[in-house]
Amino acid sequence: MKLVSRNALRWLPAFVVPAVVVTAVIAVPLQAGAAVDLPDKTPEQVLLLVNDSTVSAFSGTVDQSSDLGLPSLNLTEALPEGNDSTSPLGLTTVLELLSGSHEFRVYVGGEGQSRVQVKDRMAERNVVHNGSDIWLYDSSTNAATHLSLPADLEATAQAKSAELHSQLPTDLATPAQLAERFLSELDPSTTVSVGTDARIAGRSVYQLLLTPRTNEMLTSDTLVASVSIAVDSETGLPLQVTVLAQGQSAPAFQVGFTAIDFAAPNTDLFNFVPPANASVTEQTLPAKPEGSTGDHSGDHSPAVGEVPVVTGTGWSTIVEVPAAAVPAELGDNPLLDQLTTAVDGGRALTTSLVTVFQSNDGRVFAGAVPLAALQAAAQ
Amino acid sequence: MSPSETRPPETEGGPHVRHGGSWDLLGSEISVLFRRRRTWAMLVAVALIPILLAVAVRLSSSTLDPGEGPPFLDRVTQNGLFVGFTAMVVAIPLFLPLTIGVVAGDTIAGEAGLGTLRYLLVAPAGRVRLLLVKYAGAALFCLVATLTLTVSGALVGAALFPVGPVTLLSGDTISVTESLLRSLLVAAYVTVSLLGLAMIGLFISTLTDVPVGAMAATIVVSVIAQILDVIPQLDWLHPWLFSHYWLGFADLLRQPLDLGSFAHNAILQAGYLAVFGALAYSRFVTKDILS
Repeated sequence: MKLVSRNALRWLPAFVVPAVVVTAVIAVPLQAGAAVDLPDKTPEQVLLLVNDSTVSAFSGTVDQSSDLGLPSLNLTEALPEGNDSTSPLGLTTVLELLSGSHEFRVYVGGEGQSRVQVKDRMAERNVVHNGSDIWLYDSSTNAATHLSLPADLEATAQAKSAELHSQLPTDLATPAQLAERFLSELDPSTTVSVGTDARIAGRSVYQLLLTPRTNEMLTSDTLVASVSIAVDSETGLPLQVTVLAQGQSAPAFQVGFTAIDFAAPNTDLFNFVPPANASVTEQTLPAKPEGSTGDHSGDHSPAVGEVPVVTGTGWSTIVEVPAAAVPAELGDNPLLDQLTTAVDGGRALTTSLVTVFQSNDGRVFAGAVPLAALQAAAQ
Repeated sequence: MSPSETRPPETEGGPHVRHGGSWDLLGSEISVLFRRRRTWAMLVAVALIPILLAVAVRLSSSTLDPGEGPPFLDRVTQNGLFVGFTAMVVAIPLFLPLTIGVVAGDTIAGEAGLGTLRYLLVAPAGRVRLLLVKYAGAALFCLVATLTLTVSGALVGAALFPVGPVTLLSGDTISVTESLLRSLLVAAYVTVSLLGLAMIGLFISTLTDVPVGAMAATIVVSVIAQILDVIPQLDWLHPWLFSHYWLGFADLLRQPLDLGSFAHNAILQAGYLAVFGALAYSRFVTKDILS
């Protein structure tokens, strides 16, 4: 009898230790997200907090995940063919970044100095911006691209690239850029409120909640259910952006810091020298942003009939790209067949957030609206 | 029950009472482990991986395009220091777990199979102490195996190819000295990665008296974990698999150095150590030792 009880006691660790480990696994994240209570703020005050943010230098880790319902892509197979788009801004890259999840390291060192590292498996892609130099480096191909911005053109180029950045998913790496974009969209079509306080990357945040008003124009309802922006309560830096789609509980798109440090990063990081044996391509940016996706942002010389037409307002805005302005790259990219499905009147790419519709006559329509709205616009 | 069960508890026999005994036991365990022909054969095989890689690349006339073959293989011709990294990537999924499986699976079951376990416990060594010593031996083997791979990679790389500053994944270049330091860091990372598997092997080894069975089971566990790791439907499970961060040592080849995944991996392995250590303890101290 005594023996049995001693043996039972000896089995205790086999149950206790796993239980403790499991408890720790569950409890630690819960504690990290423990209730935060910040002084109440109105949406306007939070917006001002963002506006007044003086953070110019920081470094951090950013996690981005998308659940857009994109068809799974056979990227490895498609890559060699689309190899002209090895430039880190190529269509393939954009699609790749939009599917699944990615981890970035972001370093911002004040005026004109920044570095974004996309952490791939056993590889890394870098974008280093230092004054008038931009270096792109991809370790898997060991290829570097150098873009130099002429000094006098820098200002316009920056404005241009800022405009371009707001359209390109590749550059949504820092939440600040994303938040700015959404804040500029604020208009009567949106309800803005402050949600429950939370903790992101170890910092207490206000959650700015943007919900589209759907009472007007019910026919072209938007696919976006809500956008929430987590704003650091101390510095006003947006730390996370989450986009929820209609009828989907998991975030359709989320990008946010998992760690952030407000100390200025080492300036050596921004002095990029390409490795000795890398293949280096020199490019001058303003000439033509080649390799840019250009599918939504009509960055071509605006000849007549090539300018994208914007219809609708607010969340149900539809962009129409005339057939002449659709880049040829789109036509022969093998990925496109994988992505799109044939629908009434053309081909369509439907995701939980964005719908793209190419009508049979070559025009491309895109918007955060259901497919039917795009088809109606094509009529 | 068996005589060993009725003896005063060896488990609480107190490592503090006979401290010298522990070290003696550890010393003899290590010397037995590293005098085995089997251990030497495995270490030689581990050392052969980078040598084969380097010789194959050296003799081949065709140059690899960047990104072709295993990671870093295309860099080897320009810089021999990459041989070790490539060999590590190649060896981690199967070969290193295989050797760990053999060593860890053999720990208790091997003694039981030979009929020597009883004698080990007759000496007032205590079962807990025996478990600890056996685990320490297996963990030491993890370290020696990864170091063997690293050193043999560096040597053969230096012998067959030019050696120079190393380009990291981020595109930054570091000196040869710093790259050797990073190689050691990678070896440390891989050693830590294998500790969880070694503890699982120790636990499995307490379950049976057939060493081959324990070895095979340990290797199967490592293969299954890696298969589960590539099934996308199980992505909620992936961060909890002991093999999930095995290839995460790539983070040590970025600039600035990112020790985040090292810490992450260490915490995960510590979890496995705690759980399977407790299981091994409970199983071993309640086991009937008949052989």
